[in-house]
Amino acid sequence: MSTIESQLLLEVNKAIQGRHAHQLQSILVIEPPFPPIYEQLIAHLKTKYPRNNPSSEENLEHIVRANVSETEEGEDEQGRPVPNWSPMVSFLACWMSFIRDVNVENLLETYERLSDLQQKANSALQHATKGILILPTVIAYANVFSRVAIGLDKRPELIAHIVSAASSSDEGRAESLPEKAANILRNAFTTCLNDRNTAPRGITPQGKPDGKKIGIYKMANICLRILFQCQKLDNCQTIFNNIQNSSPPLHIYPASERVTYLYYLGRYHFACTHFFAAQLALQRAYDECPTVSSCNPQRRLLLIYLIASNLLLGRLPSPSLYTRPEAVGLREHFEPLAKAIRTGDLALFRRITSLDLSHPSARFLSRHRLFYQLANYCEIFVWRSLFRRVFLLTGKQGDTDRSAPTLDLHAVLAAFRLLETRARNMTPAMEKADSGGPGNRHISLALADFSTPSAAAAVDGYEYVDEDFDGVEGVVPYVHSPDIMEMEAICASLITQGFLNGYISHKLSKFAVMGARRPGGAAKNGFPNVWAVIKTRSGEEVFGWKEGAKGGVGPGMGGGTVVRLSGARPAGA
Amino acid sequence: MSGAPSSNAPATKLTSDASKDKNAEPSKEQKPAANNGPLEEDDEFEDFPIEDWQEEDTQLPGGNAHLWEESWDDDDTNEDFAVQLREELKKLEKK
Repeated sequence: MSTIESQLLLEVNKAIQGRHAHQLQSILVIEPPFPPIYEQLIAHLKTKYPRNNPSSEENLEHIVRANVSETEEGEDEQGRPVPNWSPMVSFLACWMSFIRDVNVENLLETYERLSDLQQKANSALQHATKGILILPTVIAYANVFSRVAIGLDKRPELIAHIVSAASSSDEGRAESLPEKAANILRNAFTTCLNDRNTAPRGITPQGKPDGKKIGIYKMANICLRILFQCQKLDNCQTIFNNIQNSSPPLHIYPASERVTYLYYLGRYHFACTHFFAAQLALQRAYDECPTVSSCNPQRRLLLIYLIASNLLLGRLPSPSLYTRPEAVGLREHFEPLAKAIRTGDLALFRRITSLDLSHPSARFLSRHRLFYQLANYCEIFVWRSLFRRVFLLTGKQGDTDRSAPTLDLHAVLAAFRLLETRARNMTPAMEKADSGGPGNRHISLALADFSTPSAAAAVDGYEYVDEDFDGVEGVVPYVHSPDIMEMEAICASLITQGFLNGYISHKLSKFAVMGARRPGGAAKNGFPNVWAVIKTRSGEEVFGWKEGAKGGVGPGMGGGTVVRLSGARPAGA
Repeated sequence: MSGAPSSNAPATKLTSDASKDKNAEPSKEQKPAANNGPLEEDDEFEDFPIEDWQEEDTQLPGGNAHLWEESWDDDDTNEDFAVQLREELKKLEKK
């Protein structure tokens, strides 16, 4: 008489014989609530193969072997030998004990059992010819496994004992639980990537991914989701390296996989300060994202990182961008920064990027992991605009036709001092009072003397005393105030990066503008377009993005680099 | 687009009690900023409700409008910030 478990295993065998991978997946369910037939199976497993019986596992493997003849070695249609599929036996036995015992109330145990099950499924995936039949199952399990791992990471009380045990016993950095999960899933990703049983280059004559290579980006995206949610971005590098080295081109994969992958790739490059590469990946993902309203959450996230990348490349969002449905509320977070860049308002920039996150946009920028990059790499654009603004207000035309227009760096210094001091002295309340504009200002703003550095010293948080000297009598706190050397250094840095066109007269403390007689004059030619400068020096290749036959060689470098020369001696000194 | 996309990807049942669906919460951006609290979580990039789509599904009505300003240099010397700056620089010239 056939039992319920052997009936089910015969169904499994039939699915393998017919090479019905998706049918196999639909049989091997792991998520409760189970259909009635599975409830019967589970009840049967509990009586016949109880959890506490040490030989249950062996007995389960025995019935798998007896019913799933496809796991034995055999021959294919051409008479070539096909090796046995023993990992499938262990996997199926493990699956039966999993559904027998699964208890979603105990998340940690569920995680551990899933981890075991996933590893067995990964092993079964490695079979050269039959492994592909388990691929949809591997992907479905990976989705569940990743959710459980992320869920556990957010419940530290459940895993505290594991974390402390790991950190006390291991040398070096202990691997976190989600990282372990990502590493397990990466094995399946690698198996997909390295499948040799495919058409040349892994592409079918119809131009689709062949064999297990069909699973490359599905598995990569699941790994990346875990690593991003748990903030282990270092660990992503391996995935991008592997894809760069051996993946078929991205464009032959389904749109959902492409867009999701480019989102993670773009964010990775953003985090690594490769802003041009980030912009290329995110722009493509955004362009390929459906415009239907159900995809607004994805479009919105893409747009947030795309705006940030563009700000860092000297492109500011247009007013029409903010009218898009996915852009609701984004203007208030990005426009202050864009305004600071556009006008050279260093005080506004300092307030937005203040580390106490007191500016209304700061929490938003931090939450999306944009704060560090925007605060550190946009400053040079603000400098450039401020130099330009001071030039428009005070720049001198040359004495003769042949001499260049000049900008007195002392004037720039006065502007920097004003704005740095102003940034320090403005409390959020004063800033609010200031928002009324001329004629509506609070009296405190009319009376405050913003121009002396000593005024700044009165405000907490801007005085610096090294902790070794804290409390020592007679120690005068350091308050930074820009000086002419710093202006020269900043000017030199901007010239080196191509954002100013001209040279410095150290003797006169002046910046001389080149190209003033070309169309557009000094204001145009002395202050080159930021985006054009960056675009010219950036490559179009994005590491990790496989397109066509050629592979990229390295990450596109982009964005401004802060070159601080304040400590450098002037030439000839 | 083939097949009307339903709601968002279903949250897996195994994890529903572990990580509450944060997208169901009212938008966090509306919350008053508590400056001392821990950083909120990074938003997760949700699974797409559909697997594949065609290029026409990504086209906006009216085409892809102009998104980025590449030339944004501000020559307006009469706005508030420029006026303040000019006043300060005048003081310097008098010295």
